[in-house]
Amino acid sequence: MLNNNRRRVSLGLGFGLMLIAMTAPLYMNAYYQSFLLQLFMMVALAQAWNLISGMTGYVSFGHTAFFGVGAYAGALLLLAGFPWWLAVFKGAGIALLLAVPLGFLTLRLRGPYFAIAMLGLNEVGRIIATLWVDLTRGGDGISLAPKLLPSLHSNYFSMLFLALSATLLVAFIHRRRFGLELRAIREDEEAAEMVGVNTTVNKVMAFMLSALIPGAAGAVYAMYTSYIDPSSVFAPALNIQMIVMVLFGGTGTVWGPILGAGIVMFLREMLWAQFPAAHLAALGVLLLIVVLYLPGGIISLFRARQQRARPDARTGAAP
Amino acid sequence: MELLDPAILLQLLISGLLAGALYALLACGLNLVFGVMRVINLAHAELMLVGAFSAYLLYRFFGLHPVFSLVIVVPAVFFFGYYLQRVLIERVVGQPLLSSLLATYGVSIILVNIGLLLFSADYKSVPAMQGSILFGEIAISKPRAVAGLISVALTLAIYFFLERAHLGKAVRAVAEQPQVAAICGIDVRRIRMLTFGMAAAMAAAAGVMLAMIYSFSPISGADFIQKSFAIIIIGGMGNFAGALYGGLLLGVVESYVAGFSSSQWAEAVAYLLLVAVLLIRPTGLKGTAYVK
Repeated sequence: MLNNNRRRVSLGLGFGLMLIAMTAPLYMNAYYQSFLLQLFMMVALAQAWNLISGMTGYVSFGHTAFFGVGAYAGALLLLAGFPWWLAVFKGAGIALLLAVPLGFLTLRLRGPYFAIAMLGLNEVGRIIATLWVDLTRGGDGISLAPKLLPSLHSNYFSMLFLALSATLLVAFIHRRRFGLELRAIREDEEAAEMVGVNTTVNKVMAFMLSALIPGAAGAVYAMYTSYIDPSSVFAPALNIQMIVMVLFGGTGTVWGPILGAGIVMFLREMLWAQFPAAHLAALGVLLLIVVLYLPGGIISLFRARQQRARPDARTGAAP
Repeated sequence: MELLDPAILLQLLISGLLAGALYALLACGLNLVFGVMRVINLAHAELMLVGAFSAYLLYRFFGLHPVFSLVIVVPAVFFFGYYLQRVLIERVVGQPLLSSLLATYGVSIILVNIGLLLFSADYKSVPAMQGSILFGEIAISKPRAVAGLISVALTLAIYFFLERAHLGKAVRAVAEQPQVAAICGIDVRRIRMLTFGMAAAMAAAAGVMLAMIYSFSPISGADFIQKSFAIIIIGGMGNFAGALYGGLLLGVVESYVAGFSSSQWAEAVAYLLLVAVLLIRPTGLKGTAYVK
């Protein structure tokens, strides 16, 4: 009963939001479209981070490495004459392929070692992009000529598609055996292995999927901004934002990252746009508040209310 | 440049060791906190910058030489760390890794952006000392020599404090077995406050030394925290002496790479070493295994 109800609310809410997002370009000006595009990008990235770090507990501080690889691959393929959608597709593919060896190497590492290795990975990406001047034009960055670029509408719908598919992917995995196994790894990896979960394959699969999304998002981002350089796409600040949004909304949940991305982006745009340094400091304060007082994120507030209103659904016991 | 001239090799070795001593001072503090409470302090390099900017302000407004500003800055940051542990870090000790990473990340973002508001992103420097000392063909810049030697002295002082002093032994006891230490009558909370205060003070001292030799801005922390990570992984996480060796090793390797190729490649060295060590020997060159 409870589950069905929640599912219905989720579906209804999802369709409502999709309807608004799909029709927005009809009545919104370019400024709001750009805002929504960035919001979709953050939802997609937050969901990607949620997929690996929220579900398996392997905290990645370097997911922007895949974003950067996707951005560079997308931009270079576009320059090489590929149509934009194929460049995005291939950019995502390159990030995915890169995630296979990297996943096998880094996911052997536990806890802090993994976190630090991923942080290092993003730096390696940035350094390679800076030093491999023949391919990437180094610190000068790559500008894309306007005639090569897709329209704002195409970018808008690409990002919307990415946000939607990332969310559906998380929702799909969440309830499947795969999602359960990932969460079992988070709770206790040895125990999970003991009861027959193939932890390595599961972790690497989750890692690959969570690299695919930033790869594609990076490629679309390159086409949206028409200029990239090593520090704008291999940007640790972007990784902070993903993490803050997921945490703020609710780690390991389907709606959490959407909620978190929505609230943080809204605050950023409406209140803090004029004061960039103050805005990031406020993000830090927000992070501390969430970590200390609201470990389940905003979404846990809704859950708590639901649980107070009804007896515990799982045990059937009265509250 | 004659590559294999012994004078040049020796020159690079010495300047590498001096830079490495500074890295070691910074990384030892980070490793101390990790060893005692299993918290990776992502704000460690920002504590270093607090030291660097304090030295800058004291030099700029009072003309105080950085070596003397140590006397003011180090105790001040010690108390800052002591109380930061009390109000914030203590709450995430023993929590999942994500909580402590994010809490210290929050502190780091706050400090960086307060720095940007106060000082802007322009690079600052403290040109208190110039010139170099000559030993035959080898020239060592004075500020680097002073910074390196003070860093070594401070690192060794903390090392012997941990090894010999009563209180230092209590710190190690808490690192090894917090419950048993508590049963033996050690005030574990206070020891953790002391530890974080000491680590913060080491970072601040490294910052004051840094101010003498490099220019820095509120966003310089990122490079240093990543080098410190590389160092503690190379040396073994939670292993104080390991971080000392790791720091010196990184300093020397960077110095040779910068001498023979370019300083951009020298920046990449830390990560290449980091990745190599993680792949070959995840417990560090001198490490005791990190148990979950």
